Amino acid sequence: MITGSGSTQASHEAPPAAAGRRTGGAAAAWAATAPFRPVLILVVALLIALTIWLPHTFPTGTNLQNLLTAVAVLWIISMGMTFALLSGGVDLSVSANGALSGYFMAEILGEGVPAGVAIVLAVLFGAGVGLLCNGFLIGKLKLSFFVVTLASMTALTGVVNLWSHTLSIFVTSNVVGYMAVGHFLGIAVPIWIMAAVFVVAYYTQRWTYFGRDIYAVGGSLTAARLSGIRTTRTIIAVYGVTGGTAAFAGVILVGSIGSASPTVDGTLPLLAVAAVLLGGTALTGGSGSVVGTALGVLFIGVLQNGLSIGGVSGFWQDVVTGIILVAAVLGSGRTRRPLLRALSRPQAGSAPPATPPAGTEPRTETAMRMGKEER
Amino acid sequence: MTAGTPLLALTGIHKQFGGVHALRAAHLTLRGAGETGVVHALMGENGSGKSTMLSILSGLIRPDTGTVSFGGTAATLAGPVDALRHGVAMVSQETAVVERLSVAENVLLGRRLAGSPMRISWRGTRTRARSVLDRLNLDYDPDWIVADLRPDQRQMVEIARALSMDAKILVLDEPTSHFTDDEVESLFAVIRSLRERGISTIFVSHRLKEIFAIADEVTVLRDGQTVATGPITDFTPETLVDAMVGETTGLRGKPAGRARPAGQPGRPLLSVHGLHTASGLRDIDMTVDRGEIVGLAGLVGAGCSDLLRAVFGLEDVTAGEISLGGEPLRPGDTRGAIRRGIGFVPADRRSEGAIGSMSVNDNLMLVHTMGRPRLSHPPRAAESRMVAQVMRQVRIRAASAAVPVGSLSGGNQQKVVLGKWLVSDPALLLLDEPTRGVDVAGKSEIHQLLRLAAQRGVGLLVSSSENDELLELCDRIAVMFRGRIVTSCTAQEADEAMLARYAGGHT
Repeated sequence: MITGSGSTQASHEAPPAAAGRRTGGAAAAWAATAPFRPVLILVVALLIALTIWLPHTFPTGTNLQNLLTAVAVLWIISMGMTFALLSGGVDLSVSANGALSGYFMAEILGEGVPAGVAIVLAVLFGAGVGLLCNGFLIGKLKLSFFVVTLASMTALTGVVNLWSHTLSIFVTSNVVGYMAVGHFLGIAVPIWIMAAVFVVAYYTQRWTYFGRDIYAVGGSLTAARLSGIRTTRTIIAVYGVTGGTAAFAGVILVGSIGSASPTVDGTLPLLAVAAVLLGGTALTGGSGSVVGTALGVLFIGVLQNGLSIGGVSGFWQDVVTGIILVAAVLGSGRTRRPLLRALSRPQAGSAPPATPPAGTEPRTETAMRMGKEER
Repeated sequence: MTAGTPLLALTGIHKQFGGVHALRAAHLTLRGAGETGVVHALMGENGSGKSTMLSILSGLIRPDTGTVSFGGTAATLAGPVDALRHGVAMVSQETAVVERLSVAENVLLGRRLAGSPMRISWRGTRTRARSVLDRLNLDYDPDWIVADLRPDQRQMVEIARALSMDAKILVLDEPTSHFTDDEVESLFAVIRSLRERGISTIFVSHRLKEIFAIADEVTVLRDGQTVATGPITDFTPETLVDAMVGETTGLRGKPAGRARPAGQPGRPLLSVHGLHTASGLRDIDMTVDRGEIVGLAGLVGAGCSDLLRAVFGLEDVTAGEISLGGEPLRPGDTRGAIRRGIGFVPADRRSEGAIGSMSVNDNLMLVHTMGRPRLSHPPRAAESRMVAQVMRQVRIRAASAAVPVGSLSGGNQQKVVLGKWLVSDPALLLLDEPTRGVDVAGKSEIHQLLRLAAQRGVGLLVSSSENDELLELCDRIAVMFRGRIVTSCTAQEADEAMLARYAGGHT
């Protein structure tokens, strides 16, 4: 019996997983965390460090609820953003879309539409804007996601300011306020909402054909199309999802400040992308998960909260997030090998020129470099 | 230079890549005759060592043993710059031009454009490019953007670049594979006029007609060895083909053949009638029966891949009809083709066949579940049963169905792509280079799978650049040349020499 090199390769890649499967559930669960392990370790380490540093103020129920509530908007947007990155794109227009949809809701509330209906309509409105402005242009007309969502971010910011004459509308609806600041069973409502959004996102990603299509489209658009996947429809739907989550986040934002403001937070989309990348999702699409994204958002939230109650300037949070982001991407499997090679190069240079390993194709640069050394 | 000394001689060249002999005692001599240059054709089948030979000549790789000498003096080529210093300029297979830049910039690419260190003199640059183009008798405007040029014109720009570096020997690796007749003629006119001016050309082509039209002398490689060399007048198309495929192929080319249920009555499974496409297919007529394996032989650019893609609805059909089981297929409707039971295994496995970042399970289920409502959820238990069965059937070796396909070996990846189609019981499978980059063991396994599929009544249309593969696998073989089917016969009637002859445009 000939053993294919594939099986040896695969078993080489994951020996702990194979061993773990035999020993029990805990090891298997640990193996399943592989894609987002760096951020998982970071979050746990940060929680422990802050608990030790601030034992009386940090690990309290109220503070942890505040911590989560503070990142509710980022959380919801990042869940949608995960799908955009998984499909190989990014949606930069989420905060403009959120502001516009929030304003839309305030307007129809003013017209006397019941709050529940208004919230649903606002989410549908945001999804529709995402479908038409982003999805159609990116999916159907094959334009670059970067250009399209940058353009729609700019245009939608203009639209919301023109429509509102740059004035905020007060929203007095109890329902909307309850969603942002209310409590249910002793836990802040935004936390319930975050959990619900996560469950829906996870279900979609893991348990629907749509979720599988997104991975396929992000993994290889051509291969997906040649396998009969409706790639255009999938991409359009993804930008509908990012639009819908943006609008839902916009609703929560309106509830928490009590008014619909035309102000668009330009850094929010990028912070969401950062959270998704921290969670181990690939910028090139095709791999990642909303579980990682949840941890990425938690990391940002914990850092923000811990530093602020510890009396450290909030700008340190930005510095640390930036550094960790690069570190997390460096630590991911795909870049680890070239990184190690780059770090070990000085040693190799001082040693006599190494012969290339047998079985590899000749490298042009290596051949040229070695030639130069001899001359 | 005296008439006796060769312009260029590569002798006793050995090169090994990790235990595989790419070249064993290969040699190549550019004899030359006084003041004029020569056109030297280098021939050989895929894997015979042509590319390695050219890489050594252009300094990209170094031989394990053997010498390269110019005009009788031995030289060490440590890199492309060294090769250039000796007057050897490589014009690559994939034309290496910067599309967004002008002709002048491309001609002078890699060197300083005219002008002071602080500023580029565009007028000087243009003049220098102009003078090189004049030497080639080309009336191109140096300001033209390369992206607007035809393939042969781009090739000319590259040749101009080589000339501007005072090349004495041009190396052209399959320059004509994507050219039309007129384009080939214009290239040859330039090569001939260069020859008059003492510039030689080493030229790789599989097209026999072209070899006899342009070459002065020829070297044939087979399995890394030089098996024939001499003036072109010493050869006929037949002797050249024999040298390329070897004496033994008469025996090797005729395997026992597959026992196929003979005399299938009724309509053919696939019939293509009068097909023309925008990509260059001309007047294609062909059929595939149920349970039949039909091979497409032809060189790169002959249209074999285009024909497969056209049947799968990926090409722009300008005339003609493709029908499956008597019912016409809608052109451009890939999903429709899949629904009718057509499967396509593309040549580029990594970017078009498998989705490397997805698991074996999800890859295998892609096609089978394409009709399900997208918000419904996959029945995981039923799927893993089906996947386990397919993995056994096509013998995919993976640690589990959950590992990403990208981590498997080439052969196993290809089996996943094949399995993806076999899951949903296809009527017709289109395969483009089904065993490219697959090791020997994997290759014979894939062949066996294809034969099994045929026995179950699946029709197969297989394109391959390896003629021995087609002879071994197929019932019938059609040979394509420049977008047309030039001949069609049973595998028993065909042999490698005949396929190579027809694929080279020689009838």
